[in-house]
Amino acid sequence: MVEHAPHLFIISIILYAAGSLFALCFYGWQRAGNFISLVFAAIASCFSMVASAVVLSSGATIRLDFPLYHAIIKYNFLIDPVSAYFALVISVIGFVASIYSIGYTRLYVNKRDTRFLGFTYNLFLASMLLVVTANNAIVFMIVWELMAIVSFFLVIFEHDNPANMKAGFMYIIMAHVGAAFLAIAFFIMFAHVGTWDFGFDEFRKVGGRMPMIYKNVVFFLVIVGFGIKAGIFPLHLWLPMAHPAAPSNVSMVMSGVMIKTAIYGFIRFYFEFLTPCPPWWGVVVLIIGASSAILGILYALTERDIKTLLAYSSIENNGIIIIGVGLSMIFKSYNLMALSSLAMMAGLYHLINHAVFKSLLFGCAGNIYYATHTRNIEELGGLIKRLQVTAPLFLVAALSISAIPPLNGFMSEWFLFQSILNSFQIPSVIIKIITLVCGAIIALTGALVATCFIKAFGISFLAMPRSDHAKHAKEVPAVMYVSMGLLAGLCVFMGIFPAKIIMTLNPVCAHVLGINIGKSLVAYDWMQTKIVETNFTALSPKSATVLGLIILAATLGALTLMRPRFVKKVYETWTCGMSPQPRLEYTATAFTRPFKTIFSNLYRPQLEVRTEYSVLNYFVRSITYISGVTPLFENYFYGPVARFVLGISTGVKWVHTGSIHIYLTYIFITLIILILFVGK
Amino acid sequence: MLQMLIILGFSPLVKGFINKIEARLQCRRGASIFQPYYNLAKLLRKDAVVSETSSWIFRATPYVVFTSILIISLLVPVLSAQVPLNFTGDVILIVYLFALARFFLVLTSLDTGSAFGGMGGSREMMVSAMAEPAMMLSLFTVALTSDSTNLSNITNTLAHNSILLLNPSLFLAFMAFAIVLIAETGRIPVDNPFTHLELTMIHEGMMLEFSGRYLALVEWASSMKLLLLMTILVNIFTPWGIAGGLSVCGLLIACALYVVKIGFFAFLIVVVEMSFAKIRLFRIPNLLGTAFILSLLAIISLYVVR
Repeated sequence: MVEHAPHLFIISIILYAAGSLFALCFYGWQRAGNFISLVFAAIASCFSMVASAVVLSSGATIRLDFPLYHAIIKYNFLIDPVSAYFALVISVIGFVASIYSIGYTRLYVNKRDTRFLGFTYNLFLASMLLVVTANNAIVFMIVWELMAIVSFFLVIFEHDNPANMKAGFMYIIMAHVGAAFLAIAFFIMFAHVGTWDFGFDEFRKVGGRMPMIYKNVVFFLVIVGFGIKAGIFPLHLWLPMAHPAAPSNVSMVMSGVMIKTAIYGFIRFYFEFLTPCPPWWGVVVLIIGASSAILGILYALTERDIKTLLAYSSIENNGIIIIGVGLSMIFKSYNLMALSSLAMMAGLYHLINHAVFKSLLFGCAGNIYYATHTRNIEELGGLIKRLQVTAPLFLVAALSISAIPPLNGFMSEWFLFQSILNSFQIPSVIIKIITLVCGAIIALTGALVATCFIKAFGISFLAMPRSDHAKHAKEVPAVMYVSMGLLAGLCVFMGIFPAKIIMTLNPVCAHVLGINIGKSLVAYDWMQTKIVETNFTALSPKSATVLGLIILAATLGALTLMRPRFVKKVYETWTCGMSPQPRLEYTATAFTRPFKTIFSNLYRPQLEVRTEYSVLNYFVRSITYISGVTPLFENYFYGPVARFVLGISTGVKWVHTGSIHIYLTYIFITLIILILFVGK
Repeated sequence: MLQMLIILGFSPLVKGFINKIEARLQCRRGASIFQPYYNLAKLLRKDAVVSETSSWIFRATPYVVFTSILIISLLVPVLSAQVPLNFTGDVILIVYLFALARFFLVLTSLDTGSAFGGMGGSREMMVSAMAEPAMMLSLFTVALTSDSTNLSNITNTLAHNSILLLNPSLFLAFMAFAIVLIAETGRIPVDNPFTHLELTMIHEGMMLEFSGRYLALVEWASSMKLLLLMTILVNIFTPWGIAGGLSVCGLLIACALYVVKIGFFAFLIVVVEMSFAKIRLFRIPNLLGTAFILSLLAIISLYVVR
């Protein structure tokens, strides 16, 4: 079976390409064109899913070379378990998102060019698959750029909204800054290779030979380069702008998997190219992850736009994954390979969990937008009675992301806590304490996530509708919620059967770290059910779920026996004598107000109350209440950087005279300088 | 199974006991210590009134809350350090099962569309979010002292190596955990369980709309939560006399000691409640910050002492 994996992979890429071209063919018949391209995307995702599953289960490494005669670039691809794992995540989410899009793109029929959406969407999925399989720095940079540019066009799909254009430009600028950093990192490594080959295989060999100073430089370049894509603080600025701007089906893929390609980059660089790494690298990565996690969720907490909220929460989750990677690096630098593998497993487990529940959440946000045409949760309310299928799906996702057992978010956080506790084996006391403080930060983050998603679900789905948009909402087409149902099922499955996921992840960790801990993690208890076991404890979410169901049934049975004819009288809510109105309900802003007060150093809340009086000063005509959060990072980080860049560019503006003679002179001078250098 | 029944059966008694002593110390006669049982029995026999704005979340919540608390009661060592189901989960699962119950309660507080519920829910989340890091760090301290996060193993280790209990870090962790316990169960000085003013309610505010059977389940669950957290505290930090196996004699001694210890801690809670006034809402983070610092010191001293 393994020998067919490359063929399956190539077929899937060809199908993606075909899908994107087909979309363009149907000129006058947009709906069909869009439909066919999305079906192609779904089938292609199936092929890549099978290919990556085969590679993952066999643990083999497959090379795909396209030997072109006298080619400057070597088109080398490599599917090892790491690539296969990321490709699996990409294709699972790609498959669901493609089916979801079939319903969601009806929103744009006759309004926008859906062919273009199909064209770019297919290319986007294909480019991500190529990113995680490229085995050559130049190929990697090409597909990395392709991914950035294609997703840029998806972000500005609704380009008549100026905010979307701004988001798109911010995204493309930051993506290119990141790419530049990566290019420099590759060049520095290339300088030590010695051959004219940018292959990753050479980089793997050269990493250990590089002088420490260069390794440190590359380390920081990679943090910035991939960190921009991962949205770590303070490089996150594009993420909460671009993800909400894109259509929801695209946000699903962007937030679910695109930002994970950065994690892929971290793993390749820090575990394969730049080995062995000093412990402080891991500590830096750990601290970056922890601060992104806490800051991301704090900003999500005050957000009222549901998609921006989800985008900030993606930053938080990426932070948690990066904590896992950082821990793994620390353990590895102290040669504690089994623990390193455990931490890596926690990170990768959280990676697929986040991909699944975040796509589900973005799908729900898309459903809300489809049904109500608004993303502001203050205008929603009461949707649980109107979107009856979307509501439980959102609830499952909200529970998963808040790490509530027995759903999948809990399992990965549990693994992370276990690996954090194991930090007592690290020799350095300071690193031990830092690690445990990170554990406390994860705990705080978990509680804040719960608050954030109680707010998101409670305000938008429960109580009474706060606007006409919400009042007249209708359930979305079945194809949308059926595809999301798959994701919700995965959330439950991955939470209750962690042993299966561990066995899937095992080849990845075994490939990267060279140690096989999968067997030691899975054990059987005295009732012969499968449990997960670390050196601290054991956990069996399956039996906890079963116990819960038994207790629930017993409670219900006992209560029914006690009083078979239990009556529920339905009456309106008591609101101190007034009739209940949506205006009396608690709002999202009010719900998170205590946090705004507690963390006021971070938020710097701005408050403006304008009171208008009629004739006399005793009669108030209207009160306007404006509250906001000071964008600290924009003001104190991006502002100075932007001013600096603008200052330099105004400074060198005089070079551009517009006269062709002057330009020819420039070229001539450059040529002479180059000759002088080469002549040496 | 036995310990589930103990927790289920005794939790209203503990609540009644606390109320009685508190009344006595306030020079009142107070209700009988069995009053909570009468309340529950009455409530279980009544019909319920449900708000017309609420949804199935409202009706599911009491069952979810009750079930998740009961699962915890199966995992916590009460009389014997040996818990048959201890493979099911550890202390982290317990913390997150409490979170499950809280998640649904707070959702319900928003479900009825009354502002009081939302206010209570929002404050509850604030208190629990602030308490979470301190709780985790103090549990980490205990886990690192006894090399396990499984409560039954922790109790076993600590019961057999009393020398470990003299560790100063455990004392600090105990202080932090005690503060967290008061915050989590909504006692004075964080929240007043007897308040009659909706604006000052935290925990009670969320339960405002429940009635009949639903109220009974939620009330019962919250008194079980109090007893469970006290049991965890008692059996981690003072595990003397807890039965190692499942012999009848050992269980009887353990039972007597357990009653004495829980009674003592209930008395301590009453003393704290008597000697403090409820603090302002935005002073609570300071209190829980203190707990966090204590637990951080516990971790640091653990490593320094080693």
